[in-house]
Formats: sequence, structure tokens, C-alpha cells
Amino acid sequence: MRNFISVLTRFSNSPPTRRDALWATLLIFVVITVYVSGNWSATFALKGQVESIQHSISINALGLLSNAEKFSSLPYTASLHPDVLSILKDDKNQSGKQAVNEYLESINAQAGSDAMYLMNVDGLTIAASNWNSGQTFVGRNYANRPYFIDALRGKPSVFYGIGQTTGIPGLFLATPVIANRVVIGVVVIKVSLRDVEDAWAGLTAPIMVSDAKGIFFLGSVPQWKFLAKEALSEEGLQWMSRHKQYGDRKEFTQIPWVVERLEGGSIYIIHTALEGTPHRYLAIDHLIPELGWTLTVMADYHVVIWARMVAWILGALIAGLLVFSILYWRLREKRFLEQSTARQELELRVIDRTQELREAHAFQQAMGDSLVVGMRARDLQGRIIYVNTAMCEITGYSADTLIGCLPPYPYWHQDDLARHWIDNANAMSGQSALTGFESRIKHRDGHDVLTMVYTAALVDATGKHKGWMSSVVDITEQKKTEAKQRLHDTQLQHTGRLASMGEMVSTLAHELNQPLMALCNFASAANAFAKQGNNALLVESLGEITVQAQRSADIVKRVHGFVRPVTLGIEICQLNTVVSSVLAILKSEMKLQHTQIRSNLLENLPFVKGDYVLLEQVVVNLIMNGMQAMQHLPCEQRVIEVATLCCDEMVCIKVKDNGIGIAPNIAASLFEPFFTTKRDGLGLGLNICRTIVESHKGLLTFEDQKPAGTIFTLKLNRLI
Amino acid sequence: MNTSSLSLYVVDDDEAVRQSLGMLFLSRGYAVQVFESGEAFLEANCQQQYGCVILDLRLDGISGLQIFDQLRAQNSALVVLFLSGHGDIQLAVDAVKNGAMGWLEKPCSEVLLLKKVELALVQAGKNMQWKVEKKKATSLWERLTPREKEISRLVAVGKSSKGIAKELSNIEYRTVETHRARVFSKLGLINSNELDRFLRTYDF
Repeated sequence: MRNFISVLTRFSNSPPTRRDALWATLLIFVVITVYVSGNWSATFALKGQVESIQHSISINALGLLSNAEKFSSLPYTASLHPDVLSILKDDKNQSGKQAVNEYLESINAQAGSDAMYLMNVDGLTIAASNWNSGQTFVGRNYANRPYFIDALRGKPSVFYGIGQTTGIPGLFLATPVIANRVVIGVVVIKVSLRDVEDAWAGLTAPIMVSDAKGIFFLGSVPQWKFLAKEALSEEGLQWMSRHKQYGDRKEFTQIPWVVERLEGGSIYIIHTALEGTPHRYLAIDHLIPELGWTLTVMADYHVVIWARMVAWILGALIAGLLVFSILYWRLREKRFLEQSTARQELELRVIDRTQELREAHAFQQAMGDSLVVGMRARDLQGRIIYVNTAMCEITGYSADTLIGCLPPYPYWHQDDLARHWIDNANAMSGQSALTGFESRIKHRDGHDVLTMVYTAALVDATGKHKGWMSSVVDITEQKKTEAKQRLHDTQLQHTGRLASMGEMVSTLAHELNQPLMALCNFASAANAFAKQGNNALLVESLGEITVQAQRSADIVKRVHGFVRPVTLGIEICQLNTVVSSVLAILKSEMKLQHTQIRSNLLENLPFVKGDYVLLEQVVVNLIMNGMQAMQHLPCEQRVIEVATLCCDEMVCIKVKDNGIGIAPNIAASLFEPFFTTKRDGLGLGLNICRTIVESHKGLLTFEDQKPAGTIFTLKLNRLI
Repeated sequence: MNTSSLSLYVVDDDEAVRQSLGMLFLSRGYAVQVFESGEAFLEANCQQQYGCVILDLRLDGISGLQIFDQLRAQNSALVVLFLSGHGDIQLAVDAVKNGAMGWLEKPCSEVLLLKKVELALVQAGKNMQWKVEKKKATSLWERLTPREKEISRLVAVGKSSKGIAKELSNIEYRTVETHRARVFSKLGLINSNELDRFLRTYDF
């Protein structure tokens, strides 16, 4: 049921779709179908009712007519009676009158009619069946009655009215008495229609009879009697008072019906109330021409309404059931589809998973076998439960031999047994360092293998600690290489320094060319001036020669200072002097590289202990590196700043360039030997610098400068 | 050629080198001007003078090569000698290929230096003479009317007056003759051979 509601809710909430349109169409179709079926049912019921009305009409019309016609021959028969004729011709014939009285009485009794009587042409009753009753008609004049007037004209007439004498309603059938083609009297028989009315009283739907003037005079509903279909005109009312058809009644009000004509016209619906209850009747009028009456037969219209209602309700129920069935069916289909999809997915997933597991297993196997790192898994007791191929190769033992072994393992080195036990205990208690430990083991063929062992906990899928997994790296070759490397390093430093010196000497030689050139020129000029006897200029030239000679000597001294033997740590040095001397050395190199230099030297800088030449070499190296880092820049932007400063207990030289900077990926290897970013570089400069600085117990660091460039900082302990 | 109207210019940022060269040339009787930078030299506006410039390849500010390029761009008649230090030989060689007179490596012997300067000044003198002649020739050439210029070019290649009249079609033989006579008179030449040489030499 919840699904149902969700389905319905979905319909109401979701935006209109093609499916919703389909549903709307279906809904409209169902509504129309229900509506039409209701109407069809109503029409059907109406037809039934109409049929029953028509049936009733035919019966009742016939009944009324037969009631009238049954007696119609009696007056005619009586009119032919000789006594009747005789007393009409002879008014004084008392015995004849008596005979007629008795004659009429006997017929009346026999026929079962109310009364039978004979009138002369004046309308005076001269003989009657009730001649000896208290309310005898004899002697009464009914000349005003329509049946008399009609009969006097020579034709039989029928009239329903209330008796003027008795006050009892009845049917008056009058026939003229004709002698020699002259109307000499009228014979009348009065018939009660009470039997008919009594028979109608039991009917559920009313039957009413109206006369030619539209006044209901007979029927199953007493309240409606003597009411008119339409209010009578003045003329009609006068006619009524004159002929006293319905006694002394003066008013004939309109019957309280609201009439609704149906299609076709002959059938109509009456809305009315009986004893306070509203009613609706289906009615048909039927004219009985022989009597001039209209028979109005009704049937309960509610039957029709009920039929429609019932059809609608049934239709709605069926439609509802249909809709719910569709919804249920769809839901069922959907769920079935979902279930089948889910089942298929599950099957696929199982297949995939199986495949994955198989692949994962194969992958793991291949991985284990292809690793150059030995893998060894042990349970909590230290029993080996897995080794890979590499592990077997490192130790020289087969997997079958190793698996199942408990410490001491066969590859443990006899000389390191104590160490192995300690390492094993650490590993088993989870205390071995994450960085691993070095362990010397013995290969099965007897040679030593140096390994690095890293151990981690082995945890199964449920999170349970099941043992230890170790990776074993063979570092024998690495160790050998390292030892070789250390041996080379010292040689390399020497080589590097020589190379560095070579560069420096070349630079200084270039520097020396300037004063030499000047010397040459001044000397030549002096020579000429001497010949010309131009003493003033001769003296000036000679003075210049002295100056240039001194300058050359200075340069040579610097070169000498730079290449003299190393005397580490024996001098007290002033770093400002170191910087100044380096700047002098590099002056021409700076010019060649179009590099500006800005020095900012702190006055009264504390002294340090060190080797001038080596420190100069470091600074030269740093400045040269800076210049090379700025080669891509336009000449005017190539600036190197050199500063000396004192921080804490250290004295520093900072060399700042605005060059390309040091990429993060090479920063780590910057000080390594043979590392170079220059195409023709040896890669020894910074390595040697660091070695020199470290031998002075100092620090050489570098940092990036914003927005571009690098700052190298040399720090040495100040001399106290 | 009298070289006394020619000047020597020295551009070097090393004061010793600059002063010593000045002193040297002074002692040999040359008119010499020294500049400590390329900017100072260019500001002095000597580009349209005649003589020799000794440029140091390495200078603070604009380099010797840049000065050389500027001189060439301004169509200067100055002859250029480069002074090169250690390691700049290739630059100097390239400069010579581009039209510099030569280079001197520091330090160099006075004999070589003076010889090179002498040669350079000879070249400078030729340059000056050429400039003067060219100027004179140009002024003569400009006295010709466009029609005369046109006819003189045809005369120079050896065409007869008849041929010229036919080639130009809308001109009479006699008129060509008149123009021809006027060209020779205006340029001060005698025959068509001389006219041909005149046009070739001064590239009109």
C-alpha cells in the first residue's frame, strides 16, 4: 500500500510527462464512460417507466371507458320503453309514472348504477329510480346541467360531476328520448366511479383524470382533486357556477406542480410535494376522446435517478478497480523487473568479483615474484609463512626450505647471532624502527649479504593482527659503492679546486692586460716625448708608467695569494677583506658578464678564524654562480648584492642574485658532487664550497629570493 | 694625403688604457680625443667627421659593437679599430667581417698599434676624399633636368643620338643632340666614355 501511495504521490508531484498525459486521457475516458453509462442506464430506466406508464394508461383508459360504456346502452334502452314515452307525452299519467319509477328502479338495481332518472324537455325529473328515497330526484329540475343540454340537442352525452341533490360525484350518461324525431325527454343514468378510485388508491404512483377544462376530478391523490392544470378564466368560472359541475365550488386553483418537459413533449416530469415530502414523477397524458377526458398516469422518476446513480457508482467502482488494477499490475511489473535486474547485477558482480579475485591473486603472485625486494611474512610465533622469489635469491634457500622455519633462520650470520636475536625480538614486539635496520646475513653459498630490513604488522581482512611482513633489500652493492665514493670525494675536491684556480688565474691574467697595455703605451709616448724634448709630457708619462706598474704588481699579488698553498685555520680573518679582495679579482669578469655588483659591508665586523684563500674561493664561486644564473636577463638587470653582517654568534656573508632561482626538484642535490646545471660545468663548485665551509665549522645555506633569484649565506663562528 | 685634418678618437672605460693611448697619439702628433664611454662618444657627435675610432670591445653601458653598428647605420665615414681583451678575439673578427678596419689585442706592441692606426687614417683620408668628390659630382648631377638625366644614361651605354631618338620615340634627333651637348657641358665631360665612368663611379 505504501508503494501505491508513493506511486500516486509521484504522479501528483512530478512535472507533467507523457505518461501523465496518458493517465489524464485515461481518466477523462473513464469519466466519460461512467457518465454515458449512467445516462444510458437512466434512459433505459426511463424507457421502462414509460412502458409501465403506457401499460397503465392502456389498462386504465380501457377501464374508464368500459365503466362508461357499460352503462351507456341502458338509458337508450329505457328511452325506448313505451311507459317512458307515454308519460312524457301525457304528463297526467300518474300510474304510468309509477310504472316507470319501478322500471327504472329495477334496472338501476340490476345494473348497479347509482341512479337512473327521466327528465322532460323542461329539465324536470318526472321519474327516478330513487323515487321512494328521501333524496329523490323526482320533481327536481336539472335543466342547467350540461348533459341535459347536450342530450336535448338529440345526442347522447357523458358528464362527470357532483350530484346537485346528493352532492356525490358520479358519471352522468344522458340519452335523448326521441319520438317522431323530436326530443321529448332525456333519460340519465348516474354511475359512481368510486370503484375505480378505490382501485387506484393502492397504487404507488398517482393516476389523475382531468376534464376538457383541465380540472382534475378523479384520481388517486385526493388533495389534487378539483385543482386545475391552469387557473380557470372568468368565463370558465361562470360556466362552472351556472352548470354546477362540481357542486358549489367557486375556485379551481392551479395544481402545485412544476412541470419539466422532456424531449419529444409527450413525456414530462412533475416536481411536487405530497404531505410535505418532495416527489418527482414521470407523467404521460392520454386523451380519451370518447369521454373528452385526459388520463394522466405517473411513475416514480426517482427510479430513473436511482438507475443513473447506481450506474454511476458501479461505473466509478469498476473504473477505480481498473485503475488500481493497472497501478498494481504496473507496480508488480516494475518490482519484477527490478528484482530480475538486481538478480542479473548480482550474478554479474559475482562473476566480476570472482574474476577480480583471480586477477588480484595473479597480480599479487607476479608482483611478489618480480620484486627485487625480498618479502618475508611470519606469523606471531616467528614461523615463516611466505617468501617471494627475491627473498630466496637473497638468501640462496628455496621457498620450501624457508617456509615453516622458526628462529634462528638458516641464513642468520654466525658472527652476528646476538644481533639477529635482538633484531628478531624487536620486530616480533613491533618495536623495530619504521626506517628499518641493517642486517648482515649469510648466503647459502657462504658469502655475506648486507640487507636493510623493514617490518610492518600483517593484518588480515577482519583487522586481526596475524603476524609480520618484512621487506628485505640487498644493499651490499650500495654499500660497496658508498665506500668507493668516499674514497673518490677527497680526490675530487682537490681536482675541483685546481680547476677553479685555473679559471681564476685566467681571469686575473685578463685583468693584468689592461695595465700592461697602458704601460706599453705610456712608455712609447715617453720615448717620443723624450725625443721631442717635451719634458712636461715625458714626466707625466713616466709617472703613469709607475702607477700602472704598481697596479700590475697588485694584480700579480692577488694571483699569488690565490694560488699559494692551503693553510687552513691558522689566520684571523676579516670577512670584509675577503669580500673586497674577491670583488677586485672579479672586476673584469663582472664587466665581461655585464653584471653590476653592490656591496654592503658592515663596519667593525667581528673577526673569524679561517683561511683567506679558501674563503675567497667560496665567495668567488658563489658570485660566479650568481652571474651565471642571471645570463638570461638583460644586462641592466644583472645585479649581485654582497653583504656582510653579524647575527648572534655568527658572522655572515650573503650573496644575492636575481637570476633564475633554484628549482625545488634540484634543491636537494645542489651540494652533491658532479651535480651541475651548466652545460660545461664540472659540478664541483658548490660541493667544494660546502666542504670548505664545513671544515671551518660553518654553515652554507641558500634560500629563494622574491620575486626571483637566490640568496646564499655563509655563516662562520665569530672570534671572541 | 695630408692626414692632419683627420682626427683620432679613443673610447675605453679603463682610464689607464684611455689616457695612455691619448698620450701615445699625442706624442706622435695626432689630434686625439678620448671618451670614457660609448654614450659620451655618441653625444660628442663626431659621426660625420673624418678619422679613426679606436673602440674597446668591453665597455660599461653600450658596447663597442653597438657603437660600431650605430656608426654604420648613420653612414659614418669614420674608420673603426677594435681593442679586444683576452677571450674577445672572435667578436673582433666578426666586427672586421662586418666592415671594421681591424682589431688590436691588449696588450699590443706600439709598432703594430701605430702601423694599424696609420693605415686606418689613410683609409679615412680616402673616405674623406671620396665623400668630397661624391658631393661635388652630386651637385653637378643635380643640375641636369630629368630629361637630360635620362638621355645621359642612354648616351653612357654607347647609344647614338638617332638610336636615342628612336627609343624615346616622341623626341626629335635634333633635340637629343641639344640635350647631349648640354649634359657634357654641365658635367664638364668630353665623351661618352667619361660619362659612363662618371655614372658608374658615383652610382647615379
